[in-house]
Amino acid sequence: MTEVSSDPREPFLELTDVSRVYGDEVKVFALREVSLRIMPGDFMAIVGPSGSGKSTMLGLLGCLDLPTTGSIKIAGEEITTLDDASRTRLRGRTIGFVFQQFHLIAHLSALGNVETALLYRGLKPAERREKAMDALERVGLGPRHDHRPVQLSGGEQQRVAIARSLVTDPIIVLADEPTGALDSSNAENVMQIFESLRSNERAVVLVTHDQGVAGRADRKVSMRDGEIVADEYKVLS
Amino acid sequence: MISRNTRDLISVAFGGLLARKVRTILLLMGPVIGVAAIVAAVGLTDSAKGDLKAKVAQLGTNLIEAKAASSFGSQNPTLPKDAVRRAEQVETVEKVASVVQLTDIIVSPYPQAKAKYETTPIPVVGTDTRLPYVLEVPLTSGRWISKADNDNAVRAVVIGSGLSNELGYLPGESRTIDLGGKPYGVIGVLGKVELDPSLDNAAFISFASADADFVKEDILPTKLYVRSSDGTEQVTSDALRVAIALGGPKEVATEIKAEALELAAQSDRQLQLIVASMGLLAIIVGGIGIANVMSISVIQRSTEIGIRRALGHTRRTIAQQFLLEAMVVGFIGGILGVMLGAFAILVGVWLSGWTFVLQTWIPPAGVLLAMVVSIVAGLYPARRAAKLEPLETLRLG
Repeated sequence: MTEVSSDPREPFLELTDVSRVYGDEVKVFALREVSLRIMPGDFMAIVGPSGSGKSTMLGLLGCLDLPTTGSIKIAGEEITTLDDASRTRLRGRTIGFVFQQFHLIAHLSALGNVETALLYRGLKPAERREKAMDALERVGLGPRHDHRPVQLSGGEQQRVAIARSLVTDPIIVLADEPTGALDSSNAENVMQIFESLRSNERAVVLVTHDQGVAGRADRKVSMRDGEIVADEYKVLS
Repeated sequence: MISRNTRDLISVAFGGLLARKVRTILLLMGPVIGVAAIVAAVGLTDSAKGDLKAKVAQLGTNLIEAKAASSFGSQNPTLPKDAVRRAEQVETVEKVASVVQLTDIIVSPYPQAKAKYETTPIPVVGTDTRLPYVLEVPLTSGRWISKADNDNAVRAVVIGSGLSNELGYLPGESRTIDLGGKPYGVIGVLGKVELDPSLDNAAFISFASADADFVKEDILPTKLYVRSSDGTEQVTSDALRVAIALGGPKEVATEIKAEALELAAQSDRQLQLIVASMGLLAIIVGGIGIANVMSISVIQRSTEIGIRRALGHTRRTIAQQFLLEAMVVGFIGGILGVMLGAFAILVGVWLSGWTFVLQTWIPPAGVLLAMVVSIVAGLYPARRAAKLEPLETLRLG
């Protein structure tokens, strides 16, 4: 086990004493004074039983939610003081999402879904298309780019979603139970893709309750009752 | 030059509309029907009027009526005896005819029918020989009252086209009708007088006959029909009032007949207003429909909105996307509405033989109206869409 906080590099994402409280009269701490640093090259899993605060953590890491107290920095930028539009743009620039339910837009083709992540960025249509095609080819779906989600299997849909998360070249890929809706062979395929994303330019964060998925990660953050109870690196053999 | 982001927005809005074709068609219905109704209402009344304008142009705008008026409220005001000569003094006057409207003469096709015609009296007009020449209306059969008829006070009558129909008079038929108990022979039928329809139901006799059979005192004209030279009708009309009344107690009122005809057509404007209001109502109801359908659509598309927000699309962009969808609906609906409305006018014109008139400002105004209503209708759904939180719609964890 290695101590994480001693890393001298600037973290991609840093939570400092973050609490997230729901309710006014009766306060419920979904997260209680949590600190976490996500470093370049991290391939990590956040695990815990339901109710452990994983989902709240996911919302905060994904810049979709704000903490009640504490600080969150993405690439050194404090997000708690940003207005909604700036935070949204920062999210679009730095974070790629992969969801359990894939969350593709039903009326768009695979290519259209991937392109959606590149809209409103001042790209020429041809440029956008090319980037999206590259991302699809990376997950092995180049030939199926014109299929709509209903014409794709679950595994293929999730690969489209991964392509969509990668196409903006984010520093953090945040996946929420990415294999939760897949059968074992598709799950394996998706996990292999995630493993292939390891890079020092990027961090991959899998939020899961599946110990098998968590076991594939290099770093495992365990949560219970809104607190981080363990943060360990896999011992390299 | 539209920015790339605007172009992105347009493609997203069109994509959203094309993805749900039935819903889009339903959204289009309101603006289409509303704009079509307004365009048709305005266009049809304009086309009817356009026909009238053509007719007036053909009939001439220079017919002026000058009639005796009285500010003292006397029963039967008359013009001076030499009114025709006085009118001719006006330089711009080309031709003049005088008439006298006779009162209390019961006209009936035969003596026994008198009772019926007492309740619906037929106007009897004493006239000179020039009336058809001034009105520029030919006789449809027979001949007009001649100088000889007048000189000898022949009991000859010319009937208006409407009266001819009512009496069932056949062209060339020898017919005697009863004028205040005196038998008069029908010698001709005057054609339809478009500029003064009141003459269509009248019976015309010579001044001399009127004098001999019905008028005890001096016979004086009550009305002149005047043709002025082209374009001078207004000044002629003003001059006539002075010239005819000059130096006497009599008062004269003038009326340019073409203007009166156009004025009568104005009553169509009320119908136009009613139909156009109904069209406006249809657009507003269509707008409410748009607001309704789009609000539901926002709920149905909440996941899509959440995804877009997660991918970095701002609230503003989401709102613009929905507003643009509404605007496109208004634009396309407006264009289709104008086309449908124009088609309705064409059908109307074809059925009634009018002239097709569609003022150039109406199509763009119709499209604009549909767009404005659609955008207003889209404001609320767009706001709701922008307010959605991705965390709530994406069901994480």
